[in-house]
Parts: sequence; structure tokens; C-alpha cells
Amino acid sequence: MFRSAPRASGYFRTDYAQDLALIQTRAERWSLAVFAAALALFPFVASPFALDLASQVFLVSIGALSLMLLTGYAGQISLGHAGLIAAGAFTTGILAREVGAPFWITLPASAITGALLGFVFGLPSLRLRGLYLAVSTLALYFIVIYLGGEYETKRGFSTGIVVDPPILFGIKLTDGRAWYFVLLVAATLNLLICMNLLRSRSGRAWRALHARETVAAALGINVARYKLLAFIISSSMTSVAGSLFAYYRGFVSIEAFDLFLSIQYVAMIIIGGMGSLLGALLGAAFVTLLPYAIEALLHLLPNVQRLADDIFAVDYSAFGVVMLLFLLLEPLGLVGIWRRIQNYFLLWPFKYRPLAGADK
Amino acid sequence: MQLFVNIVVLGSIYALIACGYVLIYRVSRVLNLAHGELMMLGAYLLLATAWLFRGEPVLALAAAILLSLIVGALVYVFLMRKMTGEMVLAAILATVALGILIRGGVVLVWSAQQQYPAQALGVPNPSLALPAGARISLWSGVLVAANAAVYAALFFFLRFGRWGMRMRAAGQSPLLAAQRGINLHGIYALAWSLSTFTGALAGILMALDSGLTSSMPIIALKAFPAALVGGLDSLAGALIGAVIVAGAEVLLIYYVDPLLADVVPFLVLIAMLIVRPWGLFGTREELDRV
Amino acid sequence: MTLLQVDKIEVVYKRVITAVQGVTLSVAEKQIVALLGNNGAGKTTTLRAISGFLGLDDARVAEGAITFAGAPIANRPPHEISSRGVVLVPEREKVFPNLTVAENLAAPLARAGRSERRLDEQAYHFFPRLAQLRGLVAGLLSGGERQMLAIAGALMCRPRLLLVDELSLGLAPIAVRDLTSQLVSIRDELGIAILLVEQSATAALAIADYAYVMENGRVVLDGDRQRLQGHQDVQEFYLGQTKGERRSYRTVKQYRRSRRWYG
Repeated sequence: MFRSAPRASGYFRTDYAQDLALIQTRAERWSLAVFAAALALFPFVASPFALDLASQVFLVSIGALSLMLLTGYAGQISLGHAGLIAAGAFTTGILAREVGAPFWITLPASAITGALLGFVFGLPSLRLRGLYLAVSTLALYFIVIYLGGEYETKRGFSTGIVVDPPILFGIKLTDGRAWYFVLLVAATLNLLICMNLLRSRSGRAWRALHARETVAAALGINVARYKLLAFIISSSMTSVAGSLFAYYRGFVSIEAFDLFLSIQYVAMIIIGGMGSLLGALLGAAFVTLLPYAIEALLHLLPNVQRLADDIFAVDYSAFGVVMLLFLLLEPLGLVGIWRRIQNYFLLWPFKYRPLAGADK
Repeated sequence: MQLFVNIVVLGSIYALIACGYVLIYRVSRVLNLAHGELMMLGAYLLLATAWLFRGEPVLALAAAILLSLIVGALVYVFLMRKMTGEMVLAAILATVALGILIRGGVVLVWSAQQQYPAQALGVPNPSLALPAGARISLWSGVLVAANAAVYAALFFFLRFGRWGMRMRAAGQSPLLAAQRGINLHGIYALAWSLSTFTGALAGILMALDSGLTSSMPIIALKAFPAALVGGLDSLAGALIGAVIVAGAEVLLIYYVDPLLADVVPFLVLIAMLIVRPWGLFGTREELDRV
Repeated sequence: MTLLQVDKIEVVYKRVITAVQGVTLSVAEKQIVALLGNNGAGKTTTLRAISGFLGLDDARVAEGAITFAGAPIANRPPHEISSRGVVLVPEREKVFPNLTVAENLAAPLARAGRSERRLDEQAYHFFPRLAQLRGLVAGLLSGGERQMLAIAGALMCRPRLLLVDELSLGLAPIAVRDLTSQLVSIRDELGIAILLVEQSATAALAIADYAYVMENGRVVLDGDRQRLQGHQDVQEFYLGQTKGERRSYRTVKQYRRSRRWYG
């Protein structure tokens, strides 16, 4: 995204603003316009099922982008993502149910809860790294889940909390199309926030401390502050996603936030490609659509009935297989595949890049 | 007294599972998050061998255990070997993916119902009386004994031939170890076989005692804090850590709140990470100079 | 007799980037050979190709052959190459940081068997300082001591050819001089051949019998010590001895380079 040179000739950047601009060539401007138009028209031509799928992808990508920010860019491994989503969902559920709070209070409240929880999740990162940090996030996740479970049992919501649809600008959000646009806007906003964070001082600091912490500290970057910032911002965004999830589903229950959900998010950023926002989006789409693709595939095969009964187990196994394939064969993820295709066309008919100095 | 017996039994379960984590971590710095699923696979394999060797429980048991040794080596050869040299996080995620695959596969083959290998084998599980009015089931007792035997054997093995030190060396710097003639693949395969074997043993004995469901891996996740508290590359630490975690869990359940069962190990874990991240007996891993 | 023969190898990274092209070199028994060049010349890649560690960087020897004592070793796994007697003293990660010095020396003794005691003493004989530091954890050693331990550790594997990667990195000149003279003693007493990759041409040429100069992935110059030390290019660009008036660096270097490449 932040390339050293625009991928088209004739564009010369003469000031810093041009250097940082997100859209740098005419081709980019056009393709963005076409893409935006396609997204806007989609709800009017697609079936409700496809609409729901697309909305799910948007919702999930918010969480994926925030995890990419935390793990892909700042390098802080977090296995407790599901706990943060749960926190946002539960805050919304509790406030809506106990106090009857409206949408424009529960959403910020979820964000704040997420930020506070992110602070707590981030504290171990000041002392621990790598595996031990991952383990600490795992432990904190279990504690969050325990608290959620406690709340459910103690307050009698053992089957879960029912949440009414939110009222946005006076309109009750029940329509699939309305949700599509709301979630599209949310995801786009999130994407823009992430992109801006990354091309600003925080982004540079995160990349630095991810690469080599001691050197970053030596260069004057306040490592502790930026680590905590990464956790707080990422968790806040994730909790907002959780809040939206609660409204979209209309239902909050602690069982929905199992460890598998955390792993799915981690898989998204790995399958998509670490260290790339595009990767987060691709990964989110891939993992969300995978179960449906498997189901469609199963229907094409004969002798399906027995497997279709165990569809959950099939999804599970297929997910494991796909994750393994990506880890073994393409550790750079979908973005890696995309870049390899790009390289092939850029270098053709040559196979290898020339040696430095060979052009003399 | 019953409390004490409970602590010993739970501690043995955790210890037997924890030594599997330690073996693999010591040798490759990889956290095998598929350990729980492999453990469960061992128990399901027992179901399969019980069906194959109907009426001969000893043979079925032996076959299941042998199979688990082989499965461990296979997991290494076909999966983890490809991940050597990659980032440790990638290897850990590979184990997670493997675990998910095994879980799904097990449900597909055997269905998600609760199974009773003891019935399949035709072996009883009577409750034995102990002094001071405490009771323990037969298979729990066998588990405690098996745990002690396994630890004794491992201690002996790791001292003899300096395998223990070589495993540590391979874990610290695999590149250097390979250059110095330590056969990395051999040592990794060995660690994976032994780890799967101990895990499967735990799974089998637990299944014989209280039945088998597809949610058995959760126990392994609770045993992991035991390994960490003791130090992820220390066997002695795993044993002591298991006792500490089991003790905390049993006592807190009894005196405070039964719902705490699943969360106590993680509270102990957090406490340890705050105070002493490398555990009671683990090697300090902070020695890196810029 | 030629111990190691590298024939026109080409090493490719990530299937697209050629790092080394057409490199040919050989090391005879009991010979000290130096591989010189600046950063990025491809010296370490060549050394990795010989010792079998390319696979980890997603690289491979795409063409050519590497033969050791008559047997081909290109693209073989590292422990197999090491068991044949080609042992590498790496540039980074030279010691096991959390083991003590004594344990570091004991770890490679997998195949030593009964003669381990003598090998141990051999290490302390060449590096007496290590004997004093026996119980110290290796991560706490100074740079020079670490390098000593690294070489001693390599000796524990009974090498016939020792590959030394960047011995002088981060060390004071006097420490480098001590280490290089120890290498010569090791060669004299144990009959081991040594292939030395070095950025510091002065230190390397002081002990080498024969040397190769690499630039941009190719060998551009080779010869014995006298020839190289007397060669004008080497003197000017690698030994830092300019004669006569100063000319512009860029013009001279480019001219010289194009002469080497095309003529």
C-alpha cells in the first residue's frame, strides 16, 4: 500500500502530502470508483442469503483488521480475541437488557470496555514476549469467559441474552439491506482508521518495535506506551465489532465465544497474509465463506447424506486442513500468492531478478 | 483425607499430561497445542483396538499404546518436520490446526456421543477403599501409579547418554545443534513419540475411568499451566507444577466456588507469569545480548 | 589432494533472486583458503551452500556441484554434511547461550565415544582461557571468548574441513590476530583444512595460503597470498593501501570492475 514508487510511470511526488496520499495514480482512482459502485449496487441484485454473507464478511473484517494491527504490525501475539468480542457483545447485551440503553450509548460503552480490557490484556506484554505473551492472553481470555458465564448463571440468562434491534436515526434496523450498508460503512471506517494509524507515527513505532524492540527503544520510541496503545486501540475496535455482532444476531450467549473463534481470527490473518491490511480483508472473507463453500462442495459429491449430518465436524476438519495447507505451503498467505502473481507478470519473460550491478 | 486423594489423582493427571508439553518444548521450543486432541485420539484408538481384539483387553491396551507411539512419530515426520526453521508461532499454529483436524476427524469417525471404553473392553472399574474413609476408583489408582512410573523412566532416560542436555541444546539453537552433529530430526521425532505416548496413556486411563467425550482436550488445556508453572523445559518442574495447580483447584472448589474449576489453573498461570515467567525450574530465556 | 571442490555453482533465493553465479573454488588438504569480498558479495551464501544451510532461507543450489572428498554434498541435509567432516563456525548463533561452556563442548560429542576426554582437553589446549570459564553460562561470555568457544565447539566434531564465517566481526584487531594464529596452530597440529570467509582482508591474507575475491556473486580474482597482496586492485580496495595520487573512487572502481567483467 505504501509503495516506494507509484506503479505507473509519469507520477512524480513533489511533497510529503503526495507521498503519503492513499490514491496515487489515475488507474487507482478509477478502480476504486468501480469497486465502490459495485459494492453499492450489490444489495439490489443479490439474494438475501448472499446479502447476509456479505454483511457477515464486513462484520468479521472489523475484528480481523484490528487483530492484524495488533499481531501483524505491532507483533504482539494475542489468542484472546474472542474474549474481546465477547466483552463488547456482553456490554451491549447487559446495558440493553438491564438499563434499556439505546444504540448510541451501548456502542461507545462497548468501545470503552474494550479499551479498558485491552489495557489489562496489554499489561503482560510489557514483560513478556512471543509464546509467553500468547499464553497470557489465553489465560486472560479464559478469565473473561468465566466472568461472562458467571453473569449468565447468576442473572438467570442461562440460555443467553436477547437483544432488540438497534434504532439508528429513528429507524429500526431489521432489514437485511440496511444492515449491509451499516456494516459496510463500519468496516470502511475501520479500514480507514487502520490505514491512517499505520502511516502515522504510531504505525512506524509499531513496525519498529515489532522488528527489534531493543533497537526501537534505543531510537527513542517509548516501547511500553506503544505496546499498550496497540492493545487498547485494537481491543476497542474489536469490542465495537462485538457490539455490532450482538445487534446483528439479536442474541448474546457465552458459548458463541469459544476458543475456536479466537483461532479463526488468528487463522484469518495468517491465511490472508501477516503484515498487510489487504491480507486481513482477504483472510476474513476466506474464513467466513469457507463453511459455505464446503457445504456447496458436499452437495456436488455423491454419497453426501451421512457427511451432511455431521456438517459441523466436516467444517471443523476442513478448517484444520486449510489452515495446515496455508502454513505449510504458503506462509505468506493469500497476499503472498497475489504478490507472486504480480511478480510473474512484472518480470516476464525473465524468471529471476537480475543481480545488483549486472547492468553496468 | 478424600481431599488429599483428589489432589493426588488430579495432580497425577495434570503431571502426566504436562510432561508431554515439556518434552516437545524442551526440544523445539514449540508449544504443542494439539496435545489434548492427541491424547483424546489415543483413547479413541483404544475403542478401535477394543473392537478389533474383542475379549482380549491386555492386547487391546498394548496395541493402542503402540499405535500412539507411531502416531506421534508420524505427526512429526509428516507435519512438524516441514515447520522446522520457520517461526515458532507458525509451528504452534500448525499444532492448533492439527488439533482442530483431529477433533473434527474423531467426531466424523466415531460420532460425538459419549463412549465407554471400559465397557468395550469388558473391564470393571470398582471403587477401592483407602484409609480414613477415602475412596479411589481402580483406574484412577492405576493412573497415579503409571504417572510415577513414567516420570521415573523419563528421569532415567534423560540423564543417561546426555539426551537431556542435547534436547535442551536443540531447543535453544537448532541450527547450531544440527551443525554440531546432533541429529535434529531424530531427536524431534523421539520427543514427539514420547510426548504422544504419555498423552495417550493419560487419555486412555482417564477414559477407562470416567468415559470418553470429544471435549476431553479441555483437560489438557488446563494441564498446560502446570507445565508452565514448573518451567516449560523442566520435567521436575512439570511434576511440582501439576501438584500446585491441582491443589489450588481442588481446595478452591471445595472451599470457595465449584464454578471456579475451569478457571483456577489460569489464575495460577497469570500469577506465575507476573512473578516468574520462566517458571520454577525452567531455563531463563532472557539472555540475549544485542 | 583436493578436499573440497566447488564447481560453477549457482544459488537462487526464493526461486527468483540469484545470489551466486558460476563460483568455482577448491580447498586442498591442510590448506587455509580465504574467501574475501565486501558486503553482499555472496561469500556467506557460498559458505551456506557448502555447509548445507540454504534450505532454511528458501534457497538452493540450482546448478553446479559441490564435492567433498569425492562425494557430492550439494543440497544434502546439514547433519549429513557435518558427519562427513565439514563443520561450520557460524557468524551468528555460534554458541548455545543457556548452556555452560563445559556443556557447550559436551553437546557435540555425539559420536565421540571413548575419546571424548581427549577432545575436551584439545579444546582447552588451544584456548586455555576457556578452561578458566568452564562453569560460566555461554550467554555471558565476551565476544572474543564466544568466538573461541565457537571454534572449540566445532573442533569437538572432528572436522576435516573447518568453515569459518566472519571471524573478525566485532572483535578488536589484537583479538583477531590471536584467533587467526590459533587457527594456524589448529591446522598445523590437527591437519585440518580451513576455509575462511572474511571481510577483513588484512587479517585473512596474513594466514591464508590461497584466496578468492568475490564481487556481486562471482569470483573475480584468485591466487596465492603473494599474488593477492601484490595485486594493485586488492591493495587499493581491500587492503587500503593507495599509491601515488588520489583519483576519484567511482571512476577507478567502475573502470576496474568493467575490465574484470568483460575482459
